[in-house]
Amino acid sequence: MSQDHRHIVSPNAPAVQRNWWAYVLILFVCVVNFLPYLYVVLTGFMDAATSNKPEPQWIFTPTLEAFRFLLFEKDLLHNLKNSAIVSITATFLSVTLGMFAAYAIARYDFIGRDDVSFWVLTNRMMPPVAVLIPIFVTFQTLRLLDTLTGLIILYTAMQLPFVVWMLTGYFRDIPRRYEESAMVDGDTWFQAFRKVTLPLMMPSLTATAIFVMILSWNEYVFALFLTSAGARTMPPAIVAYSIGANISWNVLGAAVILITAPLIIFVLIVQRQLISGLSQGALRK
Amino acid sequence: MTDSKAFAGMMVAQPAERGKVRRLLSRLGPGNPAAFPWVLMAPTLIVLFAFGIYPFLNALYIAGQNIILSRPHAPRFFVGLYQYQSVIQDPEFWHALGVTVWFTVQAVFLEFWLGLGLALLFRRITVGAGILRTFILIPMILPPLVAALIWRYMFYPGGGLVTYYAGWITRALGFGEIPFLSDPTVAFHTLVFVDVWEWTPFMFLMMTAGLAQLPRQPYEAAEIDGASAWRIFWTITLPLLKPAILIAVVIRTMDAFRTYELIVVMTRGGPGNATTTLNVYLTKVGLEFFDASKAAAISLIMMMIIIVMSLIFIRAMRMRSQSAA
Repeated sequence: MSQDHRHIVSPNAPAVQRNWWAYVLILFVCVVNFLPYLYVVLTGFMDAATSNKPEPQWIFTPTLEAFRFLLFEKDLLHNLKNSAIVSITATFLSVTLGMFAAYAIARYDFIGRDDVSFWVLTNRMMPPVAVLIPIFVTFQTLRLLDTLTGLIILYTAMQLPFVVWMLTGYFRDIPRRYEESAMVDGDTWFQAFRKVTLPLMMPSLTATAIFVMILSWNEYVFALFLTSAGARTMPPAIVAYSIGANISWNVLGAAVILITAPLIIFVLIVQRQLISGLSQGALRK
Repeated sequence: MTDSKAFAGMMVAQPAERGKVRRLLSRLGPGNPAAFPWVLMAPTLIVLFAFGIYPFLNALYIAGQNIILSRPHAPRFFVGLYQYQSVIQDPEFWHALGVTVWFTVQAVFLEFWLGLGLALLFRRITVGAGILRTFILIPMILPPLVAALIWRYMFYPGGGLVTYYAGWITRALGFGEIPFLSDPTVAFHTLVFVDVWEWTPFMFLMMTAGLAQLPRQPYEAAEIDGASAWRIFWTITLPLLKPAILIAVVIRTMDAFRTYELIVVMTRGGPGNATTTLNVYLTKVGLEFFDASKAAAISLIMMMIIIVMSLIFIRAMRMRSQSAA
């Protein structure tokens, strides 16, 4: 720490000192963190000849050549559609199923509750690659290989522990009294749940859904080994088109833009819900 | 508990329904606090059973057989512990384990200290902290796959951004281009660098959250005692941060241990087998050589390592916090 201030300030106090060297270091990290992505995005708008020159090109005339190649010649729209279907459906299913389980764990004091919630969590600890072989064999016998249904079921199962873990904390924050008073007024349990608890849970449900959606959108390992042409999603498709001997860098750039753009647009749209949902309880447990 | 009983009593008071199905439903319904939570959890538990327990049991079964995926009609029989023995006797396995552990240790160590340092640095700036924080978090927001693709390009021999600008310096010093991805030792460190680039923001986030929750009194006391900043960091900040550090380091260790996209995209486990981690070794055996049984044995051994590792972590943190108290 520097000598230019007298008082030692607790790390949780609002920042008061201004150190120019702190700015220099932080700006340096920002550049290192952002520049590679920025350059790859620029590459996506180059033509093949420009992007393949050995010297980095910072000034060039932009073209959409690489996008045309990927979307129309390689039919990446098909993969984009698959990805959208799989991640939206899996998000909807896992949040819906997980919501009821989280409600049960948060609200009821039944025998074995702690064991159940711990067991649910251990499911997340398993490395995906470690369960790949048994799941591959199961998919083979159930004829789920290369189907969207198979991927949807799998992603739902993969995200459930996370959903239950997040939502249990949020449900605990909502006083039980609200539901009880609705039921005194003559509502059934489900009506009370739908009319009172659900609206209160909306921000947290949205935040959880956003996370699940992003994780499903990005999933690569299972998508790579469990699908071929028909149900292939964006991540393995993009790797196929951007790694290889005769592939030019502008295609890699365009591929990176095509997979991150929906994500960035999505996060920008839902940013506010994400922050308000996250500020309750995510890190507390 | 009393609350939920009152809750239940209220529901039972509803008019009696007719019909057996109705009666069964009402017995499982919200009126019965012993059964109703299980009804609510049933779909989740069934799905998790199907994809959590079942693959595990199936892996146990497969590892006890001699299944080769490319020969589905070959005779299968029980081979006992042969598959585990063949894994343990395979020098490739021990090499992959070593690479994985070394990669995890280096990456998590660097990420932790850099993330904590960055979080403390942010205590010293005010103007523009919000926007700078967003820029810091970018690598973490990008899909892991994209991070790997980006750096594969950056480090590509002859044309990558880093290779080119680093080449300026090394050529001026009289060396050639740095073999970022083609030299076994350098490639390993390149991968560690990319993992650190990608996940230091995560540590930064967790440490920022941890710092925000620290109590203020110990710092005031230390200030009165005239302790040095260095001393305060080691004797107050670090011990108080322990819970946050534990969570962050455990999550990161588990994830670093199973890093897959990064390695497959950047080096495919090469050059040679210099960056073949357990994950890469497992997929090579299972889905390139189609030796499903050996791969299942590897995955069970991996699961055991992860469980033992997390138990050790929790024990160590608990012991240290006890001796400190």
